[in-house]
Amino acid sequence: MILRGRGISKGIGAGEVLLSEAPVSFLGGVSPSDGVLADQPGRSVKGRVFAFPRGKGSTVGSYVMMEMRRAGTLPAAIINASAEPIVATGAVMSGVPMVDRVDLSLLRAGDRCVVDGAAGTVELPDVRSVEVVSCFLRHGEDLLVLKRSDKVGSFQGHWAAVSGFIEDGETPDVTARKEVREELSLEDPELVTAGAAVSVREGATIWTIHPFLFRARDREVQLDWEHTEYRWVLPSQLAEMRTVPGLERVYRSLLS
Amino acid sequence: MQLTRDEEAILAGEKGEGCRKAMELLVALGDIYGAKRLIPIASAHLSGVSYKTIAEGGIEFLEEMARDARVCVPTTLNPAGMDRRRWEEMGIRPRFADRQRHIIDCYERLGVTTDCSCTPYLGTNVPKRGQTLAWAESSALSFANSVIGARTNREGGPGALAAAVVGRTPEYGLHLDENRAPGVIVEVEVEDVDYSLLGQAVGVLVGNRVPYFRGIRPTVDQLKTLAAAMAASGSVALFHVEGVTPEAAGASLAGLEKVTVGRAELEEARERVTTGKDPELVAFGCPHLSVAEIQQLARLLKGRKPRGDAEVWFCTSRHTLAQCPREAAELERFGKLVCDTCMVVTPIEERFKCTATNSGKACSYLATLCSQKVVYRDTPGMVELIS
Repeated sequence: MILRGRGISKGIGAGEVLLSEAPVSFLGGVSPSDGVLADQPGRSVKGRVFAFPRGKGSTVGSYVMMEMRRAGTLPAAIINASAEPIVATGAVMSGVPMVDRVDLSLLRAGDRCVVDGAAGTVELPDVRSVEVVSCFLRHGEDLLVLKRSDKVGSFQGHWAAVSGFIEDGETPDVTARKEVREELSLEDPELVTAGAAVSVREGATIWTIHPFLFRARDREVQLDWEHTEYRWVLPSQLAEMRTVPGLERVYRSLLS
Repeated sequence: MQLTRDEEAILAGEKGEGCRKAMELLVALGDIYGAKRLIPIASAHLSGVSYKTIAEGGIEFLEEMARDARVCVPTTLNPAGMDRRRWEEMGIRPRFADRQRHIIDCYERLGVTTDCSCTPYLGTNVPKRGQTLAWAESSALSFANSVIGARTNREGGPGALAAAVVGRTPEYGLHLDENRAPGVIVEVEVEDVDYSLLGQAVGVLVGNRVPYFRGIRPTVDQLKTLAAAMAASGSVALFHVEGVTPEAAGASLAGLEKVTVGRAELEEARERVTTGKDPELVAFGCPHLSVAEIQQLARLLKGRKPRGDAEVWFCTSRHTLAQCPREAAELERFGKLVCDTCMVVTPIEERFKCTATNSGKACSYLATLCSQKVVYRDTPGMVELIS
């Protein structure tokens, strides 16, 4: 799987991912002599792909990264959700490849990872990418959710929208209409809107979900073998249901 | 960011590795701040000089840059970690002095003017109204923006050096008209206001908004004090003073929040910054003393006798010192005329625990960068401490 971000500092760096949930100040937050994080004792950024939301703190932090280069304790690369000037300056000065605008929730500590600072990409060679569509049907205020049968390949017994893999050569739009037709026996449903794709990490898979919203003419639907049950629910109820990962986020992406 | 063909060539390394790295840094910063292009600069002023702050890592960066890069606009340098001549009298260790000289040598090789001072605008690097600059040193850049009407963002040391080497800076922030308008009105209701305390109070109050002052008529030296204090206690990089600063005229004030600063706010600031009682060091000159300030001190100290056992420093630039040798000699009776450095960037924490200052800026940094207890006095109060 290759994640696309924005290149900040050139070069290619590879290593295992080390994650920090909190913003990082290299001055005080990382020990230059061994690269150990102040808030994660025993964990060193040395040779790792260091992923954290953003930098913070004193501008002296840029020079600390030069100090780490002297000590040989620099990370192999840096990934940020959004870069700020102090760490970006330090990364360029010390030659650490850096990419930002990456969704850190798609990374796991220990992932093997290759960062290309010129291309702005983050490659996760052990992580599989799966592209799917997720189609919501709306009737009045209600959304249609379907319970996945035990005959499907994943997330059996979870509540989901109409969904399916995007096959080679298919556009998401074509897949969406095909799945609604097949799973609900609805011909030519009225498309309300298509949302921006949402990516969700589950084990060694990143699901990239393309959301669609259709209008249903009535509340009667005919299920096929993929589902055992259906319900019409309010959008606010999604959060409380046992759904496939990210279903509520996917729905929200349709609203923005 | 959109680069021209020439800029792309620099980024590809056609003008050497130092220039390439400088361009990479400008592009990274420009992208982060949402700049669309680079614009030419008239001058640069650099921070990142003291060995105390940049250490060996900083030296390595400068050595690499100095290998093949040169600044291409007039560029000046911030104070270093010691007086280049009197470092032994300051208690600086030989190893520190050695490394500090090496840093200054690197800057010299880069083509930077090395009169190490935070007040380049008083003589060595004087911007003109409307010019585009890339200045680091928060007090100097605020003075250049506010009092002179030049245009610079709040640069970090490496970013300012990169701009000096390339001769360009990303266009964002205070380079754009819309970001130079006042963001808050500050009504000062004190006669004969103390500008260090005013700056301390207002910086905390406004953060990084652009304050528009009413009710004050500061002199140039008072503007310098005010700029420095607000940049340290908040992160003010531009301010306007009604009837005084060039961009105050015609500024739109419609709908702005108004805050009032009176005696209570100033006393609150004094209380907040005061953390010590018995100063071991009494330090004047943050920012560096101007000729007028040295003359004023000489007048105040004339006919008086030194007293107390605190060490006394008057910090200024060599450029300024050369203009008032007689008055400087008068001050030498009471303490050391220290050049190239100041109480904030030299390692005073190795010798002193408590420092007295008349600077709103030093109040902030003595506490954070130098682990000092702080005694604040106005200038006459400082004179009382030493004579």
